[in-house]
Amino acid sequence: MNVREALSVVRSVVNDLFVVATRELRTVIRTPALVALAGVYLVSILAVAWAGTGGSGGFIPLTLDLLTFTEVLIPLLALAFGYRSILDDRLTGELDMLRTFDVSRIAYIGGVYLGRAIVLVGLVVVSLFAAGLLVPVLTADQPTFFAQNQAADSGIRFVRFVVFAAGFALVTLAVALAVSAVTRTLRTAFALATTLAAAFVVGIDTTLIAGLASGVLPSESVPLLLAASPNSAFRGLVLAEAVGAIGGAAVNAGSTPLNVVGLLGWWVLALAVAMWRVWPTVVLETTVSADAHET
Amino acid sequence: MSEERAPTASKESPPQERTQSLTDTKRSIALQATNLSRSFGDVTVLEDVSLSVGRGELAAVIGPNGSGKSTLMEALAGIRAPDRGTVTITSPTEATAERRAVGYLPQRPLFRRGFSTRDTLEFYARFVDDTAVDVAVTETLDRVGLSDVAGRTVGSLSGGMTRLLGLGQAILGHPSVLVLDEPGSGLDPAMVERLFSILRSLADDDTGIVVTSHNLEAVEKYADTVVLLDRGEVVLSGTSSDILASTESETLVEAFLTTVQGEERESTVRAGQSSEVNNS
Repeated sequence: MNVREALSVVRSVVNDLFVVATRELRTVIRTPALVALAGVYLVSILAVAWAGTGGSGGFIPLTLDLLTFTEVLIPLLALAFGYRSILDDRLTGELDMLRTFDVSRIAYIGGVYLGRAIVLVGLVVVSLFAAGLLVPVLTADQPTFFAQNQAADSGIRFVRFVVFAAGFALVTLAVALAVSAVTRTLRTAFALATTLAAAFVVGIDTTLIAGLASGVLPSESVPLLLAASPNSAFRGLVLAEAVGAIGGAAVNAGSTPLNVVGLLGWWVLALAVAMWRVWPTVVLETTVSADAHET
Repeated sequence: MSEERAPTASKESPPQERTQSLTDTKRSIALQATNLSRSFGDVTVLEDVSLSVGRGELAAVIGPNGSGKSTLMEALAGIRAPDRGTVTITSPTEATAERRAVGYLPQRPLFRRGFSTRDTLEFYARFVDDTAVDVAVTETLDRVGLSDVAGRTVGSLSGGMTRLLGLGQAILGHPSVLVLDEPGSGLDPAMVERLFSILRSLADDDTGIVVTSHNLEAVEKYADTVVLLDRGEVVLSGTSSDILASTESETLVEAFLTTVQGEERESTVRAGQSSEVNNS
């Protein structure tokens, strides 16, 4: 294959990817249940920012208030957005039809992921920034008592939190796509998605704590173990890089590089599983008739 | 048993000789399947199935439920890999081969709700040629008779219209071969008639078509050639008139029943003999 042919293939894959992504985007926007879920998420985030101490206390208190909520809600939202995405196409026969158009697995999975990620990340970012906008509103008339707090608290740190939340959403959406690709019925997909959500939110952390408390897991392995769980890695990144210090004391939240690697690992692994399992490779020989007359 | 049904394709002949010559010798071959076999665990679904379909030929695969028709269709469309055997699609031109080799319609397809008929076809058409989507979709809607409902959402279409939409998806890009898995199942007779007449006109335009169907009247009326599949093996093949003559039947339904029941009796006898041998 020469360079020109390679470029043509890449162009074709990119074109197909965007065609699929556009359909996914439109599907999500036209699915009432997902729109309702997005609305609930947005209202929940704003309600927490408004009613909690965070909004009136500054960006860091707001981040701490929102951290637990985002840790729980983002995986749930991502799994809801993604667990049926590929499976629905499989059950309706559209996946088989698509395959006869010579759509590559990269284009299909990439398109499904991109289309859904645009909506999910958009929702996460917009809702968190909307919550962040409450800070100057709610703190406008309040004096700042602690010089240290004023110095540390800044919008930049909150932006970091939003970026980490967006990354966390991307990772959990990739896991949702993997669930959708490996399952063959809605019931198993729902069961697997629910189990994974429970594992991410409480299961892995609880196991780590139990392991550490019983001495089965050595305390030196904590940073590594925290990085192995998407939720712990996200939490660690937020605490270390967006919060930094609480009450003047530095936060021990694992290793930032390890947490980044942990999240990246989940992302790559999940998308690789989705791509591997979406459909098998089938060789269909195609030839051109010997008496072909090009027109 | 076998004397009663007088099959034309003998199961005793070697695979090469069993290759079903569905094509008129004057027609170029569009699809050639050779010795396809497929098992799921211990269950053999296809056993050395060979067939060829020519350009402009409408070939119908018939057979009882569970005879392996859908697995055969999936293998022919390149959706499912056979354990053994090959499928070769021959396109008339380089451009056709590059555009789309096979069009496929699965059993009872559904499309994403909330999208219109036109939206749905546009989505698929973009994979064929992004620069001529409107033309391709308008032409396809005309061909399958859905122009009047182009703006209607997919969810509001009847079962028959949804099937026609599926057929529209299958013919986008003018593939050399169409593989259609029971496109008429669950449809009223008028819709089946409409669907098969569209298939006939597509075949007349030089497309090779393989279709499975339980509607044997439509098959007898429209198909050029018929393959009877039973327990994953080809037990009869040829033109409808050949099959009627060889089975001494009046209709394809009668030929089907005679052949399949004969196969069942033969299988029962074989099982009985095997059991006797084991017991002794």
